Amino acid sequence: MFQDYAYVGFFCLIGVIFVLFVFFLSRLVRPHHPTPDKLESYECGELPVGSAWVQYNVRYYLYALIFVIFDVEIVFLFPWAVVYRSLGFFAFLEMIIFLAILIFGLIYVWKKGALKWV
Amino acid sequence: MDWIIPAVNLKLILPEIVVCLFAILILVTDPFLSKERKIWSAHLSWIAVVIAFIANIRLWNLQEATFTNMFLVDNYATFFKFIFLAGSFLIILISMSYLKREEILHGEYFSLILFSTLGMMLLASGFDLVVIFLGLEIMSVSLYVLAGFKRSDLASNEASLKYFLMGAFATGFLLYGIVMIYGSVGSTNLGQIINHITSNDAGSNLLIWAGAGLLLVGFGFKIASVPFHMWVPDVYQGAPTPITAFISAGPKAAGFAALLRVFLFSFTTIKMDWTMIVWIMAALTMSVGNIVALAQSDIKRMLAYSSIAHAGYVLVALVAGGETGVSSALFYLLAYTFMNIGAFTVVIALGRKGQDNTKLEDYSGLGSRSPILAILMTIFLFSLAGFPPTAGFMAKFYVFGSAVKSGFTGLVIIGVLNSLISVYYYLRIVVLMFMQAPVTRTDNERIKVAFCAILVLIISTWAVLQMGIFPQSLLSLAQASVSSIF
Amino acid sequence: MLTGVSEAVYYILAAIIIGSGVMVVSMKNIFHSALFLVLCFFGVAGIYILLSAEFIAAVQVLIYVGAITILMIFAIMLTARLYSAQIKQSNEQVVPGLIIVSALLVITIFALSKTTWKLSSQAPETQTVAEIGKLLMTTYVLPFEIVSVVLLSALIGAIVIARRD
Repeated sequence: MFQDYAYVGFFCLIGVIFVLFVFFLSRLVRPHHPTPDKLESYECGELPVGSAWVQYNVRYYLYALIFVIFDVEIVFLFPWAVVYRSLGFFAFLEMIIFLAILIFGLIYVWKKGALKWV
Repeated sequence: MDWIIPAVNLKLILPEIVVCLFAILILVTDPFLSKERKIWSAHLSWIAVVIAFIANIRLWNLQEATFTNMFLVDNYATFFKFIFLAGSFLIILISMSYLKREEILHGEYFSLILFSTLGMMLLASGFDLVVIFLGLEIMSVSLYVLAGFKRSDLASNEASLKYFLMGAFATGFLLYGIVMIYGSVGSTNLGQIINHITSNDAGSNLLIWAGAGLLLVGFGFKIASVPFHMWVPDVYQGAPTPITAFISAGPKAAGFAALLRVFLFSFTTIKMDWTMIVWIMAALTMSVGNIVALAQSDIKRMLAYSSIAHAGYVLVALVAGGETGVSSALFYLLAYTFMNIGAFTVVIALGRKGQDNTKLEDYSGLGSRSPILAILMTIFLFSLAGFPPTAGFMAKFYVFGSAVKSGFTGLVIIGVLNSLISVYYYLRIVVLMFMQAPVTRTDNERIKVAFCAILVLIISTWAVLQMGIFPQSLLSLAQASVSSIF
Repeated sequence: MLTGVSEAVYYILAAIIIGSGVMVVSMKNIFHSALFLVLCFFGVAGIYILLSAEFIAAVQVLIYVGAITILMIFAIMLTARLYSAQIKQSNEQVVPGLIIVSALLVITIFALSKTTWKLSSQAPETQTVAEIGKLLMTTYVLPFEIVSVVLLSALIGAIVIARRD
């Protein structure tokens, strides 16, 4: 089992080294003449407006919050799904209760209009 | 794969199920209610608490564990659940008129109160550190949000944020403690922990000590003991006043429920002598709370420090330990719930929309403006200070008595001195109310108290006097609830 | 099992975790801090794999790397003042903080080194997901159901805090 992960680790290592190597290589061959125009943020060839660090809309955050909660919920589905066949009705019932509690949460979120993008 | 369905006795967990179901019901129905009918959510929530209370009565004198020994119903847990449910009931009643006044009447409020109550009940009944941790989380998450429920008010936002940051930090400590105990015992079940400690002489095992220390930090935060009290004044002052009363009643008692259970039951003093540490904590908590309370000019802040001091008195009971110690702690927490909620109800009654009137000067001349409120406030303050014939006196009497019996006379002397200090700041308000002319104010209208708030005042006054004059019935109840764990 | 190799991997992972942890609390740009946190979480996932806790490692990547850091980065990008600002990551409490933290460190190291650890003679589970699933459905069924209530109350909290009215 550990051998499999060693491959993964080796792969990651190769990935990191590859990126660093390419950057290093291009640094060796590329010309280096920075001018103020070149250092500007690229905005489709237009003159850039404002800073490149724009402030994001608050709504993204609400979605991210709701996403995290249902993400955690999904994590609990995996171990259940793996053993579901051998566990039978009782496990099914448990998962129904677990999901029902959160589905009521979803109804609430929905009704509150938190999923609407306006 | 071998697979056994765990024996589940749903009757034992019925109060929790009721509270949880009603919380969800309120949550789902609330968005469908029109603005005028939002108050239905409040009615649903107190009905839930009453039903859970009745279900809880039926569990009295039962001693049974279920869910593979993770959930224990004994008189100890049942008694604590009575405290939580009574506290939540009173808080829901005083919240109704307050939320209407502040125009923040939303169903989620009551839903969160019920969830928080559910968390407390799990804390009292949890016989496994995992359940205790999850109960603490439900309780705390709901409270963080409730503290910031007045969203337009910056102070409320600040309270919520501070409470959350500090609370999350303390939860981290608690979790670390659980991990260390699991690492050395191999189980999170309290029953197995005590077996391990008594059989293996694990008192010499440092990892358990480290774990116990971290647990003490985590619980110490929830019960607002020194040196983990820094969040208390700002949170108490900034949170909506009913929530302040709520935090000081239920969650504090719940923190003690778990603390007493874990420390007195699992980390038995015979094998692990942690009394000295708690001794110091108790002395510090009482002294810091009372001395800093002297300097406060805002009543919510003053009651916050008084709440710290009271946590110190209950810690004295923990130091005393044994059957008398724990039963006196239970009695104290019950008495404190009523007298504190009573005092906060008067504080709420003096407020106006957008203007809480929580400065001490706002109380001057209350005796002539509204004599009944002033007299009730006096009863509650006398009880907090520990004068006879109120609940506060009997509670302190039992706590200090049990500590003397266990030979902690030094701590009792510190406690009595502290009670003397506290008399000053409690009486200052009484003096302001009766012996000073009212400050000239623009809104010198009559103080109108909502019907539900009157009900709360009647209940708490009755409870405070009942426990002060005829303490025997409730005390024997408290004694009956601890006999099961010793 | 090659103990030497896994020990070396452990130390590399530990270095990554501690190094990125230090970067998180010392970077001037809070956005960069968040990115280093991702690296730190990855390192922890590596430790879990080393401990044959594959499911926990997967959860670590899924929840912490995938969701929590996204949430943090959103939060940073929402607050314009934090976004590109240079932030001082220390305050006047450095000295007392340092004292308390080093005391904790000494106590922890002392406690850990003095402990006689309970070692299990069993071989590590190969089917961790199935084993966790079985435990969640049987022994830990109460905590399992409570978790959904915790999540629900967090969900309400999110909506209440972020509601617009």
